[in-house]
Amino acid sequence: MGEFILQHSDFFIFIFFVALGYGAGSLMERNHYRSIRKREQALLSLPVTTTEHESFIGSEIGEATLVVGSVVVSIDYFKRLLAILRNIFGGAVTSYESLVDRARREAILRMKEAARQQGAALVINLRLETSAIGQQANRKRQVGSVEAIAYGTAIILPAAPGDDG
Amino acid sequence: MQSKIPFIARSTDDTVNVSRTHPLAELFWMLGGLVVLCGIIFIALGIITDLVVARVPVKVERALRGIALDQYGGERHPALNEIAGNLLAQVPRDSPLHDYEINVYLMENEEINAVALPGGNIVVFTGLVAQVESENELAMVLAHEMGHFSHRDHLRGLGRGLGLAVIVSLLFGPDSSASDLVSGSLLSFQAHYSQDQEADADRYGLDLLVRSYGHAGGSIDFFERLAAQHPDRLPYLFASHPHPDARIAALKERIDSYGYPSQETIPLDSALYDVR
Repeated sequence: MGEFILQHSDFFIFIFFVALGYGAGSLMERNHYRSIRKREQALLSLPVTTTEHESFIGSEIGEATLVVGSVVVSIDYFKRLLAILRNIFGGAVTSYESLVDRARREAILRMKEAARQQGAALVINLRLETSAIGQQANRKRQVGSVEAIAYGTAIILPAAPGDDG
Repeated sequence: MQSKIPFIARSTDDTVNVSRTHPLAELFWMLGGLVVLCGIIFIALGIITDLVVARVPVKVERALRGIALDQYGGERHPALNEIAGNLLAQVPRDSPLHDYEINVYLMENEEINAVALPGGNIVVFTGLVAQVESENELAMVLAHEMGHFSHRDHLRGLGRGLGLAVIVSLLFGPDSSASDLVSGSLLSFQAHYSQDQEADADRYGLDLLVRSYGHAGGSIDFFERLAAQHPDRLPYLFASHPHPDARIAALKERIDSYGYPSQETIPLDSALYDVR
């Protein structure tokens, strides 16, 4: 048995990384989603829209400033294996869906946190971009990462007299 | 007057952008599909190879002779060739074996093995000669290899191996872990196929031995000695050859059903004793 493992060490290393990717990857993903939901709930009162026009706000604008949030999430061996198999059969690459979803939501959350720190009442003109880090991400024996960046214009309302913030 | 859009805070819906399929379920469906796909291609290639091989003239095969022999080497051995020549004289006239130029080479190697190479060369390892006690046993081994030529088995093996290599490297690239996995599992199918071929070659070898020597003495001695050395059957599950016990049983059955007699064996030629 030991000899068999040594002779096929490549294969067992591969299985080990796939298992590690599945175990650690799903644990991290579960924790990340829990954190995302909690923080989304906490930041619910800070609206974010994609509109370019501030006219709908309906009140005076005190200040407008750029806010940015970005995150990089790594692929694991397991997700990559599923994606490789999908490359053969075609169809939705579901293993990457949760990865990109997490990256987008985390980026927006970070942007909202930045906006809240600035004391903004809302963020308009939200833009989202995604890029692969490591252009070799789809090549052999390469595990790439996905970057999501969210940016927008934070609108800070003028402080009204008697208003505390 | 401008219309004002009221803002209502709603939490984001989790479900739209992420599929609910369990990743393991997806993995097993796709892996299963892949295995079935490879299996179908492999079986189809095997059938095509078998059809083509029967139509490839021996002349074409002889072109490969030099290449295959270079990988083994060894010396052409007169005493071994004499045994092979005597066997060949008993082969029916219409057999494809007569189109081959049968040459037996002896190669320094401790492995207990003999191989039939494309074009009619047989390479016997010194390790095998060291295990053999009589001329009849050696003749059985040579007749077995001639059986492979008669059935064109080495060409089939070549064709299937080539087909397998092509599928696997097309799908996964020339050297990846996935290639190892797939070729490993398909090779176990190959092993069963090649065990059938070995059994066929054993039957051919036995018939030729009896035709040449007039009796079946010595046909199973060699396998009995091997079986005593390898009592464990497990490693033979994926081996190219059946376990010696299975070969002995098959040979005995044929000896009984054809009523082959058994007589004294002829001792080994002195030139072959020197090898040991």
